[in-house]
Amino acid sequence: MRVEAPDPGARRDGARPWSSVAPAWVFLGALALAASGCQRESVSHFRVPKAAPEPAGMAAMPAGMGGGMGAPGMAGDVPPPAQPTGSSALAWTLPKGWNEVRGGGAMRYATLTPPASGGKVEVTVIVLPGPAGGELANVNRWRGQIGLPPLDEASLASARKHVKTRAGDVSVYDFLGEGQQKTRVVAGFTFTEGNTWFLKMSGDAAAVGARKPEFVSMLESLRLDAN
Amino acid sequence: MTRIENRPLSALLDVLTSLKLTIVCMAALMVLVVACTLAQVHLGTWGAVNVYMRSWLVWWDVPGTVLSVPVFPGGALAGAVLAVNLIAAQLKRLELSWKKAGLWIVHAGLILLVIGEFVTGMFQQDMQLAFEEGHTANYVEYPRENELAVIDVTDPAWDEVYGIPETLLARADEVQVPGTPITLKVKRFLKNADLAMRTPNDAPAIATAGVGTSIRVAELPPVTTDDRPNATAAFVEPVAGGRSYGTWLVSALLAAPQQFVYEGRTYQLAMRSRRVYLPYSLTLKDFTHDVYPGTEIPKNFSSLVHLNNPAKGESRDVLIYMNQPLRYDGKAFYQASFGKGDTLSILQVVSNPGWLLPYISCVLVTVGLLVHFAITMRRSMRRRAAAAEAHS
Repeated sequence: MRVEAPDPGARRDGARPWSSVAPAWVFLGALALAASGCQRESVSHFRVPKAAPEPAGMAAMPAGMGGGMGAPGMAGDVPPPAQPTGSSALAWTLPKGWNEVRGGGAMRYATLTPPASGGKVEVTVIVLPGPAGGELANVNRWRGQIGLPPLDEASLASARKHVKTRAGDVSVYDFLGEGQQKTRVVAGFTFTEGNTWFLKMSGDAAAVGARKPEFVSMLESLRLDAN
Repeated sequence: MTRIENRPLSALLDVLTSLKLTIVCMAALMVLVVACTLAQVHLGTWGAVNVYMRSWLVWWDVPGTVLSVPVFPGGALAGAVLAVNLIAAQLKRLELSWKKAGLWIVHAGLILLVIGEFVTGMFQQDMQLAFEEGHTANYVEYPRENELAVIDVTDPAWDEVYGIPETLLARADEVQVPGTPITLKVKRFLKNADLAMRTPNDAPAIATAGVGTSIRVAELPPVTTDDRPNATAAFVEPVAGGRSYGTWLVSALLAAPQQFVYEGRTYQLAMRSRRVYLPYSLTLKDFTHDVYPGTEIPKNFSSLVHLNNPAKGESRDVLIYMNQPLRYDGKAFYQASFGKGDTLSILQVVSNPGWLLPYISCVLVTVGLLVHFAITMRRSMRRRAAAAEAHS
């Protein structure tokens, strides 16, 4: 068998034999390849049909958190509180042309739909047992929904209007968002028979403004069901 | 001249088939095994295996920065180089002749088995689907990973769901949600945190909007056991149209989403298990938990599900029970667990593009052994015949 002598020309510069350092180069090359091909996590996007409302309760919350936090927008590992009935429930006179559907969500008492008026409007009635986090927290939650900063107690008092009803005094707030396409919230808040009631109209500013007189007249018509 | 030009190529082949490279790879794997074992104290088995073994590179987060630099080859890279090294050595040394055909097939089967494990390790996705009787699900979840879902719920028929992986929240100061005008500024990220109602003695809340204003957040060390997920939380500030929408607390412990409105579009924020939506849906019609008569010993678990895929015009019932998964659209749905008084069924959902490879490799090894046996027997019979002829 003939063994070829190494080519002296290939090592004329005194460099180390290629094969002796090559394992390291192969490894580094593979490392670089892997680094370049490595994809960091990115934001996913799906367009999915709306989920049907949960039939009972919502997703689980660990022990200690369930039920203790009554503010709307949260749920514990318990079914929604029982809806008030009879003399503890509020009733109202529906403005002409409006539709009403009882329920419409886990926490909702009713969902009202005014006639189309050139923009999106949603009217909801939510009732929760007890003070439900208090007036300030809930008002600031509404403000947060349209990008407004929270109020303090003093500002809350100056923002509050009152509507006298047969079910008692209703605090009414009217907030306008600051975006290019403005969003407006007009909401009534009352505590009666151990329950806190939230009656809220929100949506495009112009459409909400157009429906505000009807909404306020509906607030004025509030009464306990037995009345 | 030609010989000089080919020198690097032949040297490369020498390296690829060299024992030194084998040793380098095996040494790297040994280091990884030790590091992975030690890391299990802090990361848990699953986390450590992901970081050290099922990754191309081991990354190190530079303290005080968002930089992450590779510091060592991961198990996948070391294994891949080792596999190439072994295959190259095999090709170089095994005699290419019909006499060795059986051995070639056997070796091909073995190499395919290794490749199958590699494909499984790198590309297998383990997800789960938990649903109660009567419920329909059109998604599966990664039980050990969380995401911040930003959902545009404005359309009455559709939701636009954007999922920001927790790994991105952990390392980014702000995240632009593609396809929306929203940028989320990440004020604080907590891999694991507990929540409680705030008390008057607590420090001021970081959150300025949503339910987070009335919640106290306590950071916890990341979960190191494999049976419990992290309760990931973050404080994020949505900014759109140059306006801030306040700082919100998002947490896996908050069940209901929170929402804000921008330009008439309603966006919900929810931290939850990372979700992948499916182009079809599954409805759990009935879950059955059988026991042996007179005992509490489980005999069988089964889920009767209804598969509905409008795009393919499919609507049929499927019974999933132990060792009898539903294989559909590249995923296998196995019966894994149950709960809530036998009304909740949990299916393990596995997506493994290499699931057929072990079967193919077993067939190859069997065929190879048979071929080798046939060749050897034929040679032996010829020898005998020749010997008999010589004696006659």
